Amino acid sequence: MAEQGKAIRRQAKHYFMEHGLGADTQTRVTLFLQGVKGLNAAILARVEFQPFEWLPYKFLHNQYFKEVELSTLLGKGTQWSSNPLVYLAATNLNLALWRDTGAAKHLSGFFRADHNFYEYLALSHAFMAEIRFLPLLPPTMPLDTPFLSALKEIEEENGRQIQTQIRLLKDLDIGLSPEAREDIVEGRRAIVAALFETLLAEVSRAPSAEGG
Amino acid sequence: MPVYRHQGRREVYYELYGREGDPVVTICNGLAMKTSHWAPYFEQLPRLGIRVLSYDMLGQGASAKPVLGVGFDDHAYQLHDLHEHLGIERPYVLGISFGGVVVLKYACLFPERIGGLLPISTFSELDPQLRGHARNLYIGMARVGFDYFLDLLMPLNFSNAWLERNAHMLELTKRLGVVGNELYAIQNLMESMRDFQSMTHELVAIRCPTLVLNGEYDTLTPRHHHDILRRAIPNSRLMIVPRMCHAFTLEAPALVARIIADFVQAVEQGSWRGDQSVWIAAEDPAAKDIATPYPEPFDPLRNLPLDREGKLVTGVTEAKSSGEKPRRTQARKRTGAKKSDKT
Repeated sequence: MAEQGKAIRRQAKHYFMEHGLGADTQTRVTLFLQGVKGLNAAILARVEFQPFEWLPYKFLHNQYFKEVELSTLLGKGTQWSSNPLVYLAATNLNLALWRDTGAAKHLSGFFRADHNFYEYLALSHAFMAEIRFLPLLPPTMPLDTPFLSALKEIEEENGRQIQTQIRLLKDLDIGLSPEAREDIVEGRRAIVAALFETLLAEVSRAPSAEGG
Repeated sequence: MPVYRHQGRREVYYELYGREGDPVVTICNGLAMKTSHWAPYFEQLPRLGIRVLSYDMLGQGASAKPVLGVGFDDHAYQLHDLHEHLGIERPYVLGISFGGVVVLKYACLFPERIGGLLPISTFSELDPQLRGHARNLYIGMARVGFDYFLDLLMPLNFSNAWLERNAHMLELTKRLGVVGNELYAIQNLMESMRDFQSMTHELVAIRCPTLVLNGEYDTLTPRHHHDILRRAIPNSRLMIVPRMCHAFTLEAPALVARIIADFVQAVEQGSWRGDQSVWIAAEDPAAKDIATPYPEPFDPLRNLPLDREGKLVTGVTEAKSSGEKPRRTQARKRTGAKKSDKT
């Protein structure tokens, strides 16, 4: 991880320890995660057109509905901000999310065991592995609020859902060398980490007297 | 933060303590461990005249976590490269559990780059029970979650006494374990052993002084795994640590530091005897003798007492209601393992 990324995470940890997660922060976190899950769900919707016998069908079908469910759960547990600037900043980051991940190229046609599908798997692996809020919170902070328990549920569920990505990234033969595969995986990971760090930097620079 | 780039790409995090010129002990983590778990050793070993190097394997702690994983032998090559990078010529190499297998592989691959070996709570082959434990841990982690994986490990790792003493800390410890690890990276470490074949036949190539350590109550990697190492490695001894379970390096750091220091000192002074004998560690780190020989005629592979003929010695039966006097039962012929072949 780059030094700048480590510094941002340290700053976010410090911020969460000092200020907790007020309404502005909760709103930013939720809108980012809903953006990620919405993007992933939009791509996964294609799986419903795949033949039922296609091996990954069952797993990706399950993931599709889980993403929607978790997004709803988080929204329900969020203390929403009344500050319009929070929504403006969130919208800008979600535009960057679509742009930087190149997600649009995964939206059309059938899934095939090809380069495009492998890139999508790497992207969705990065979503589930890189975006983790719990390690940034003080370990003694209770997680029994609706918002934090939803975050915990998402991170636990990510650990189960990511099994599909792990198996396919390791075992799917698309005619690429191990180095080429690793380049794809690391590339997607860097993009997602940068977006996550942008969110953390913006949140932890926010005024401490945020609503809630 | 001290890091070196393995093969010029992947960051490996390490910490090194102690005086330059003192013998170096390199510590290789268990599966879900990281460098900070060895903090007590960073203080105690230098006081005992030992330089201590600890590092996070790829996938652990602060080191890089390759999504596609690495092969099992790569862990031993990575350790070799770290020694090269730091200019450490002939370290003593200690590994616990998963790290124990890594250091066995290291000793086989680099016999000229090792001064002594300390495999702890580990194995060189998978028997049905160990395979079953590994499968349960893997499935628990992948299908239920990392919390549950740690729940499964906790009673295997620690003694009742430790669990009772630290009951108030267990939830916090678990949470730190969950947030301090990446599930996919620990899963990769486990999957690097997917095609693991017995390496017992390779162990004869290990010629360096080797002290094998096993907790008395280690049910994850029980005694016979360590006895296999003792019998296969010519220049070895086995030491049993009383009342301890799988992760006793965490539970009794002062005692283990003393055992390490005495071993290193014996080798450095030329008094080490690798006679494949079995020893029992003292429980007091300040004991005059840190270990005593396992007494004859008892078999260290059995939990029940056997007499010199290998027969089970039993106690006194209860008095029968008829008023019959209590009597000692007959020794029964042992049907289990062969009598210990310790020399």
